[in-house]
Amino acid sequence: MARMKFLCDSERCIECNGCVTACKNEHEVPWGVNRRRVVTLEDGVPGERSISVACMHCTDAPCAAVCPVDCFYTTDDGIVLHDKDLCIGCGYCFYACPFGAPQYPQQEAFGVRGKMDKCTFCAGGPEGKDNSDEERQKYGKNRIAEGKLPLCAEMCATKALLAGDGDMVADIYRERVTKRSTRPQSWGWLTAYQEDV
Amino acid sequence: MRRHIVRASALAALVTLITGCGVTVYEPGVYKGEKDPLLSMHAKPEHKAQLQERFTKGQAER
Repeated sequence: MARMKFLCDSERCIECNGCVTACKNEHEVPWGVNRRRVVTLEDGVPGERSISVACMHCTDAPCAAVCPVDCFYTTDDGIVLHDKDLCIGCGYCFYACPFGAPQYPQQEAFGVRGKMDKCTFCAGGPEGKDNSDEERQKYGKNRIAEGKLPLCAEMCATKALLAGDGDMVADIYRERVTKRSTRPQSWGWLTAYQEDV
Repeated sequence: MRRHIVRASALAALVTLITGCGVTVYEPGVYKGEKDPLLSMHAKPEHKAQLQERFTKGQAER
């Protein structure tokens, strides 16, 4: 099995924000934190594109490289997770991330941000047993442990957002591009996984 | 004489305190937190097959 990957097909994304809502609802993400966002490029002009963006679970994750307390770890198939008990909320990962994925729940005096929060690929965190109350409270639901894939992709109405085995995701996307006779525009794929579709 | 005894006992206490402090040296770039139980589950081929099947059912083109 290849590593887990996200892909957003900008030709299909209709900016419904269903993925954003699904993520917030599934993980009960606090106010002010959006693990996933839909970004619209060239809004209102011909050629407008929307892309659903979250942590891409990079191959060589820059967040993990800059973390001073080494709170990041990667699963067997490339899901980048972090430990909120170790995180000191320094914000280095936010500056390093090319996708703006790390989020902070607080904005207080002296730059106190609170523990970093980001997309977990619906795989929770290192807190006790899978899907325990503690894990759910800190990291959200652990769908991967239940044999399910990220909800944002599973409920995408137009199947613009794909999440799963990288090879299978790439196969579907290549087939679509061939059918459409367009150039592949797998936004963020090269940056995150250092390879083209 | 008394001053010497006080100094000697202070020095002995200091040495005891310093030797009592264990310094943990960590390797940089290595995750040091709790182990995620998902990691062992995720390594199993059955779990991977389950996720692949889920992908085919839910996200593949129909």
